[in-house]
Amino acid sequence: MAELVITNLRKSYGNVVAVADFNLEIADQEFVVLVGPSGCGKSTTLRMIAGLEDISGGTIAIGGRVVNELQPKDRDIAMVFQNYALYQHMTVYDNLAFGLRNRRVPETAIDEEIQRVSRILSIEPLLDRRPRQLSGGQQQRVALGRCIVRNPAVFLFDEPLSNLDAQLRAQMRLEIKELRQRVPTTAVFVTHDQVEAMTLGDRIVVMKDGLVQQVGTPLELYRRPRNRFVASFIGSPAMNFLEMRAETAGAGMVLTGLGLSLAIPSRFAPGLAARAGRSVVVGVRPQHARLGVASGDDHVGLSGRLMVTEQLGDEQLLAVRIGSGDFRLAGIDPERVFAPGETIAAAIAIENLHLFDSETGAALR
Amino acid sequence: MTARRRILGLDEKQRFMIALIAPAVLALIAFQIVPILAGANASFRDWSLHDPQKTWVGLKNYLHVLGDHDFLTIVLPNTFGFMFASVGLSLVAGLMMAMLLNRRFAGRWLVQTVILLPLMVAPVIAAIMVRWMFNDQFGVVNAILGLFGIEPLAWLTQRWTAFFAILLTDVWLWTPWFTLLLLAGLQSLPPEPFEAAQIDAASPWRTFRYITLPMLRPVMVVCIVIRSIDAFRTFDIVWTISGGGPARATEVFSIYAYVEAFQFLNFGRGSAAAIIGAIIIVVFAMLLYRILNRWVEVSK
Amino acid sequence: MTRASRVPAERSKGFFEALAPGGRRMLFGLAAIGVCLIFAFPVFWLVLTALRPGYAVYYVHRGTDFTLDNFLEVIVQEAVLKGMFNSFMISTLATVISLGVTVTSGYMLSRFKGPIPNTWFSLIYVFRCVPYVSWVLPLYFVTQSLGIFDTYWGLLLPHVAVHICFFSWIMKGFFDGIDPSMEYAAMIDGCSRWGAFWRVAMPAAIPGLTALAILCWLYTWNEFLFALILTSHQTQILTVVMAQFVHELGMDWHLMSATGVLALGPALIVTIFGQKYVIRGLKV
Repeated sequence: MAELVITNLRKSYGNVVAVADFNLEIADQEFVVLVGPSGCGKSTTLRMIAGLEDISGGTIAIGGRVVNELQPKDRDIAMVFQNYALYQHMTVYDNLAFGLRNRRVPETAIDEEIQRVSRILSIEPLLDRRPRQLSGGQQQRVALGRCIVRNPAVFLFDEPLSNLDAQLRAQMRLEIKELRQRVPTTAVFVTHDQVEAMTLGDRIVVMKDGLVQQVGTPLELYRRPRNRFVASFIGSPAMNFLEMRAETAGAGMVLTGLGLSLAIPSRFAPGLAARAGRSVVVGVRPQHARLGVASGDDHVGLSGRLMVTEQLGDEQLLAVRIGSGDFRLAGIDPERVFAPGETIAAAIAIENLHLFDSETGAALR
Repeated sequence: MTARRRILGLDEKQRFMIALIAPAVLALIAFQIVPILAGANASFRDWSLHDPQKTWVGLKNYLHVLGDHDFLTIVLPNTFGFMFASVGLSLVAGLMMAMLLNRRFAGRWLVQTVILLPLMVAPVIAAIMVRWMFNDQFGVVNAILGLFGIEPLAWLTQRWTAFFAILLTDVWLWTPWFTLLLLAGLQSLPPEPFEAAQIDAASPWRTFRYITLPMLRPVMVVCIVIRSIDAFRTFDIVWTISGGGPARATEVFSIYAYVEAFQFLNFGRGSAAAIIGAIIIVVFAMLLYRILNRWVEVSK
Repeated sequence: MTRASRVPAERSKGFFEALAPGGRRMLFGLAAIGVCLIFAFPVFWLVLTALRPGYAVYYVHRGTDFTLDNFLEVIVQEAVLKGMFNSFMISTLATVISLGVTVTSGYMLSRFKGPIPNTWFSLIYVFRCVPYVSWVLPLYFVTQSLGIFDTYWGLLLPHVAVHICFFSWIMKGFFDGIDPSMEYAAMIDGCSRWGAFWRVAMPAAIPGLTALAILCWLYTWNEFLFALILTSHQTQILTVVMAQFVHELGMDWHLMSATGVLALGPALIVTIFGQKYVIRGLKV
């Protein structure tokens, strides 16, 4: 079994804390993505798992064994680096064989394994070439091959697609997903790109400033972000945020501000009553705002002046001025024509509203 | 805006370019090109102090040098042997020092300063120090050997021991140069292949042999070629330690040329020797560069 | 497929791994100390000999008499005094002139393309490879016929000429690392080409120039062959004076060592103070 259990992991450089209180249990063959802005501690965490960084506190256990004190080579892991880290002056074949040769695996076994893996990755014609003669995508496949050949308990990926251009990145994402089906192994994948996280991960760990913000499946993170940061990080175009005030209004609440008044019946947000008189941040995804006037008490309406339209071919994006900021709408009919400065009315289902505490950013429901 | 007049057929930009290099060109012509041409001229003439006719004799001087038994069997082998030995030893020692200095440790600054000490010592002074240390009566080397019951050696009056002292001086002087350049090379290597090697269970020796060394090859090639050219023309330390003796046994090429010109006062032959040496080293340097480059290319 | 590589195969423990971390560190420390001793020893021995009076030269390592008399005796000798002074002047002047002449040359090679820079670059490249001795012999005659043999100019100009090739190449490297858009901006703002060079590019190259100046000074201070051939009694240079002492003085090693230490002095001072400038300047 190769489950990866991380308990209370901490990393500090002197007084600076890079990773704090990281807890995670990864099941065998699960693919977990660590995602977050640069400096959030995701790479540091990965390198601690690999053994390339010392651990300041906590434990890491692979397959039931605590590996804190073990050298990288003894942890039964393999790693794909951002800039491939191939051995430039060795042929592709030797690159793949290096790790096995160091472990005194007999040459025939090595050759068998290399042939098998290069078939999976379609790099057989490249075996005699040197890394400098390969394209970025080919080099990345060789780096993947180097890992698969080792048959480790855990795969580690350190932003492997960040050096590729957008088109290649999309293609490699598919290849990695297909590879997973053929070689299912426990994996930890680090990236700053939320699209990669959403498409590749069984579960996603969102990190910021060394702290775990939320752990969940892609859909969980999308539908029920636990705080404002996760809500703003996941989903594209990013969520809109409106600073409003909660006031009591009859049996329910009303959110006021920015020239708007949103009526929230109590059945939708029972906890909101406790926040009467305080400010609340309302989050709305651009895809959830429909053009038109709100009808029924399960919808609320917004309106503002149209500033900019962006034509994407299969949809339009609108930026509507509300208060001092721009509210974006997505999924608008691309054929529809708008006049600049036109007043736009949008309706949003209340169940699609996200409410956050304006100080802590925590989700209110 | 600048005028677009052409003076002497050159526009403003070209005039500026020439103005920038004018002093350098003049100095180069007067004090490098002209002397070389004058030297070439002298080499074809019978020009010695007791015969100031400077009559043209064609290749007589060249043939004399190339036919000189001592030149072929002593001077050239000495020079090339010295070159290979010095460059080889300094390279290996420099590489070891560079690996040593590449990691952070307490007192590293001190070790670094000491290792770079030889770089600021004049070769002549280094030669003097060595000559004193290897003095057969009072030198410290013989004193230490005496502690082990070994008879004192007449270091500087025998060919091979004198050669050894000269070689030691050159290695002492130039290892720091190799160290500096190799250290800079080491520090510019990307860390990722080394991390991958850690994960790939490579031992320190295998990491060094299969990863560090190949990546350092370009820097090493440059160092070897430059240093080889310099080692070929060594003069200072040989002159000071042994004067080329005993009886010309440790004579190297530049001393040979000097002796011909300023002791035998035969400037024609001295110039011919100098030019022969120049041709040898230029050809050798090109060959060396080509061979080493192929070595680096193959590894790529 | 075999899961043979699933369990990491046993590797025989290398020598270094067999040692406990403490043992490894001790080996490393011993190596570092050994290295220091080897490199520092000749200089240490020279200084020690210089501090011992004449009669103690026969057993430098034993005995406890120390004296500064050697230095006093040596420093009043005319050859030594003049040698130090002349060497200092030549080193400084050669550095200033070489840098001055080559900085424009390097700038030109960096900023311009075309037949003129290409020719100049090839010329420099070829002459960089020619060994010194091939032209120092005829320089003897050139300086004599120009009447500058055994004078400052007779030594300075050849030094400058030698540096042209090497320094132009290095200066080109410095200027290659400086963004030319600042100079274009200056020219649009009304500077002439020379103004752009002098006021914008040069200041940016100062760290590199300083490093090169220090290295040039040290090189000229330590130089021997040119000084030997191109000077005689009028312009004595310290390195030549010392070499002559060796061949003439014979047994007076305490005096020799004192002279040697005196010759090392300025180089040591320049190195200690210049070290960080050199490292900073060459870090381009």
